[in-house]
Amino acid sequence: MSLDLDIPDGIAVGLSIPKLENREKVTGRAEFIDDLYRSGMLHAAILGSPYPHARILSYDVAEALEAPGVVGVLTGDDVPASRMGAFIKDEHALAKGKVLYLGEPVAALAAETLEQARAAVNLIRVKYEELPAVLSPEEGLVDDAPILHEHLDDYLKVFDTGSKGNLCSRTELSEGDVDTAWDACALIVEDEFTTAPQAHVAMEPCGALADVDAQGRVTLWSSNQSVFRVQANVCESLDLPMSKLRSLTPRVGGGFGNKMESHIQPLTVALALKTGRPVKCILTREEDFEIVRARHPFKIRMKTGVDSQGKILARDCEVLVDCGAFADDSPGVMGYALLMAGGPYRIPNMRARGQLVYTNKLRFGAYRGFGNPQVTFAGEQQIDQIARQLNIDPIEIRRRNILKEGDRWFAGPKIASNGLGRCIDAIEEASSWASCPSSKMPLGKRRGRGLALTAHISGLLGTGAIVRMLEDGTISLNTGATDIGQGSDTVLAQICAETLKIPINMVSVSSPDTDGSPYNWGTTASRVTYTTGRAVAGAAREVVRQIMEHASEILDVPIEYLELRNGGRVAAKGANEDLPFAAISGRAHWAKGGPIVGSHTLVFEEPTHDPKRAIALGLPFPRIGVFSFAATLVDIEIDEVTGQTQVTEAWSAMDVGRAINPRLVEVQIEGGFVQGMGFALYEEMIWDGARLANPSLMDYKIPTSADAPPIHSIIIEDPEPDGPFGAKGAGEIGLNAVPASIANAVNACCYGVSKALPLSSERVLARILEDEDAS
Amino acid sequence: MNFVVSPKSVDEAVNFLVEHPEARPMSGGASLVAMKNARLIDASHFVSLANIDGLRGIGRVGDSLRIGGMTRHSDIATCDLLKGDLEMIRLAAGQIANSVIRNMGTMGGAIGNADPAADYLPVLACADGEVEITGPDGVRRLPVLDYVLDWYETALELGEIVTAVFLPSPKEARSVYRKLARTPGDYATASVACCAVDQGVRVAVGACGPRPLRSREAEATLAGKMHDVDAIAEFGQALRELADPLDDVRGSSQYRLQLIPRMVSAAIADVMEPV
Amino acid sequence: MSKKQVFTLALNGKEVEVLAPSGATLLDVLRDKLSLRAAKRGCNQGVCGACTVMIDDVPVRSCLTMAGACEGRCITTLEGYADDTVMRELQEAMIASGGVQCGFCTSGVLITARNLIAENPIARNDEIRSALSGNLCRCTGYVRIVEAVAKAAKEVAP
Repeated sequence: MSLDLDIPDGIAVGLSIPKLENREKVTGRAEFIDDLYRSGMLHAAILGSPYPHARILSYDVAEALEAPGVVGVLTGDDVPASRMGAFIKDEHALAKGKVLYLGEPVAALAAETLEQARAAVNLIRVKYEELPAVLSPEEGLVDDAPILHEHLDDYLKVFDTGSKGNLCSRTELSEGDVDTAWDACALIVEDEFTTAPQAHVAMEPCGALADVDAQGRVTLWSSNQSVFRVQANVCESLDLPMSKLRSLTPRVGGGFGNKMESHIQPLTVALALKTGRPVKCILTREEDFEIVRARHPFKIRMKTGVDSQGKILARDCEVLVDCGAFADDSPGVMGYALLMAGGPYRIPNMRARGQLVYTNKLRFGAYRGFGNPQVTFAGEQQIDQIARQLNIDPIEIRRRNILKEGDRWFAGPKIASNGLGRCIDAIEEASSWASCPSSKMPLGKRRGRGLALTAHISGLLGTGAIVRMLEDGTISLNTGATDIGQGSDTVLAQICAETLKIPINMVSVSSPDTDGSPYNWGTTASRVTYTTGRAVAGAAREVVRQIMEHASEILDVPIEYLELRNGGRVAAKGANEDLPFAAISGRAHWAKGGPIVGSHTLVFEEPTHDPKRAIALGLPFPRIGVFSFAATLVDIEIDEVTGQTQVTEAWSAMDVGRAINPRLVEVQIEGGFVQGMGFALYEEMIWDGARLANPSLMDYKIPTSADAPPIHSIIIEDPEPDGPFGAKGAGEIGLNAVPASIANAVNACCYGVSKALPLSSERVLARILEDEDAS
Repeated sequence: MNFVVSPKSVDEAVNFLVEHPEARPMSGGASLVAMKNARLIDASHFVSLANIDGLRGIGRVGDSLRIGGMTRHSDIATCDLLKGDLEMIRLAAGQIANSVIRNMGTMGGAIGNADPAADYLPVLACADGEVEITGPDGVRRLPVLDYVLDWYETALELGEIVTAVFLPSPKEARSVYRKLARTPGDYATASVACCAVDQGVRVAVGACGPRPLRSREAEATLAGKMHDVDAIAEFGQALRELADPLDDVRGSSQYRLQLIPRMVSAAIADVMEPV
Repeated sequence: MSKKQVFTLALNGKEVEVLAPSGATLLDVLRDKLSLRAAKRGCNQGVCGACTVMIDDVPVRSCLTMAGACEGRCITTLEGYADDTVMRELQEAMIASGGVQCGFCTSGVLITARNLIAENPIARNDEIRSALSGNLCRCTGYVRIVEAVAKAAKEVAP
């Protein structure tokens, strides 16, 4: 789908139009899952496993059933043996036969009130046989380690995972010949890095509401990032034909990856089917921390070699990734991290390998950045280390190495749109990089400045759009894409409006509904603007084609002499008389042609790599996406008394191809920055043995308005030829380089390398003490 | 009977608590209701102290300053009477949680839990504050360091409530409260309260053990040597020796031990700084 | 605690009577009994700020306020500010600035912000950030929220 130069922009695309649903959000009228009620609705409560690894021997639900208000109890015996999972089908709707992490839902019940449900749930008695637990990937790989998934060989897998024992998957990517390349290097740096698990902490905890109609068909509302993944997961795990389940979306209070695959939808549906009544299940904040998913902790060994000019000759990256109890999106996260481990640079010899290991902890899964922030944290520090040792400016050394337009990523298709150089220029200028060296302040402070670069994909998998002209000429747009607050409804409406040259208030956007919406893989992988936007543009073009056909016949003018005019009108070029869309629509509905419907579907088809030029073993995604680029620069201040580090100012430039809605892109940069800052400085899910020690907002802290810095967001546009009006993704890339840039800033004023995230005040103080000891 | 009862006098509240051992006194409710919501407590009633006259407000009583047990953090944080060597109390109040919680939480409620990371404990210990406790056997006062017994354990007996905190009248001298927290409003990872006295300082350290750390002996040793860097370092070490910190989600015990002498030196430098 | 009682509340300028469990919080009553759902349950521990409402002219956490302790106190929720000019300015500013993303934190932010600028229309950015530090937002990074509050403050300043 190429850039259409016949439709000049200006009516919608490129404008910072306020989001279509903002008014309902500022008046408190937006309805999230917990704001929905069904008559006769029951409330669910969940019983979690007290052990990290155990066989379930028996259930006794008699006492629970007798408790006041309880209508139904659900155990593993009530759900089928079928399994769901994005890459490896290893999860049941509810624990069956075994529990694999402390807190894993093992039973649930539904009662008339929430209070009754919570009071009764602990009356469900479960007998366990405790098994030894695996609490780290290293433990999981030991020869006689306890095995979590005893039937791993039987599980359906969507790619060649190499699963074995507790090894969930393995992936190896290579280009060139890393092993012989070191000899040519003038300088080699090698280090090990670790990153901590981060919790999503969307402000809205996960929730679902399921109802069953008289025909036995399920209607399910849930806080989600994909009605289609919800539908697939619930139906696979409960053995329901997909036609028997309708998945819908209320307003969603943030996702960040937590809500892309299912959370409690399967057990909520199972409870509704069992009790015959609507059931609502809303997680407490503690449950949201404990039983959904989190960002993978990574152990990374990285080695980078350069010539005397600082040009990268080789990079070798090895990762050991903790999967948690279930595969979920983990094979994808690891594979993607390895694909991104070289960073946005020309590296002739590159190898990236990884092992993903099951452990008896909460499953780790999709989280904004999808493995990229972790490897970027490692790789970008090595670039800076090299710059320091060769006495080359950190920006200059990057300019010498960055991918240019027409280069390939991992022997994939040529990159047609690459604004990285301009991103670097932008932050260099905006921050006055050249004139601000890191300095030691009086009064026990240190200041540092650091930057990092990143790339990220947008694309991936399938999507569709349907554009219908209503009888009066206004437009209905249906894409199945869940707006999780980032504004996709508005952006897609802008694309539609621009293509039809109508004001945006002539477009109504349908809520995602598996009954009526075309398939959309989901709101993830920074894909909606690019992938669904292409489908919207295509569907709207189809409507334009039909409009033109009608107009041509009505006006008796050949199509090539017709033009769309702003406001929903079509006319012969140069003529005064025009036809409103209503007239076209009337003719279509009542006289000729039939109601005007345009549709377009696509699946991303470009291969991730050319197997003749690069080697991939266990690549989770044979087709991935186009590339966006970003550069982030931060100023930090360290308190030498305590080691506490704060970001005082930040600049972040992002090449998004084309900003359909510039303000919404800026907010992605800013929100991504602050979420990345939390990950960099103090966010850490801490396990005390098998138990998550800080599953609450008292104990797990995210940034507040008082410590988030001023952020200068800079939009760079290097149009993506395949993108709608040139646009590509913006959702994740704003976070990727943040921990790396903060680490580089710390490294600029403290000796050494930042080996671990978070860069807690404790860790930074240790660096300061080393400096003090040395001097 | 209703779950929340609202007595009109301290005696009424105390009697109710004695008669209903499963009832809990509620001041601001910030901590208590949070615990109830998390199903960590199972009380028969909450006894609200909100409607009792005389428990709110800050005022002079003879040679002392009295902070009523129901006085909100927001009022303490903006009270002009807390100046000089009592300014650290105001500063500590202003760093509790955030502006909204400060509208709810109270002095009595905050020290009622004896949360080791609570901001008031080190400043009250440093200020030689006394806790007024009213119970079935009457009114008594305890120095703060005798009121806090152990991790989350106070000297309160059944039926007793904190009705006020007494402080010596403010003197013209500098005082500071240094708090290290992961984010603004978090509980302290470590904190130091410090005020200048004639020839020396008083210092108390918070969040590094079940009770605030204070050593009058070390303070006496340091007196007169306020420009002696080594003496100050030794003083910090002396407080470090008293510490009994735990590893927790805010930091390790080892980190806290590293912090104590550094934060103490910094706090002393703050109060010694020429105005 | 499964016992119910009738609470009489002075709410959004009117007196309402509502039957609810005796141990209910104000948030429970607003959402479950009175259909006033602007206030959200983000954590039920008073940390996130999504439940913030006004009681007696100060913003407080409705999830930490017992319904039984509300007798004689004046409660205002976001819904109660429908005709308030200061709130209107804030809402328009938030709509335009990009300070509303998922919207889950928005009600609490508006309550806290309205109180700030009503009391201090010349609040500086750092004062705005400090006042809002108890309203967590995971989507916006706070930049456009602060911008909206500053803009609205200018509009309402005398």
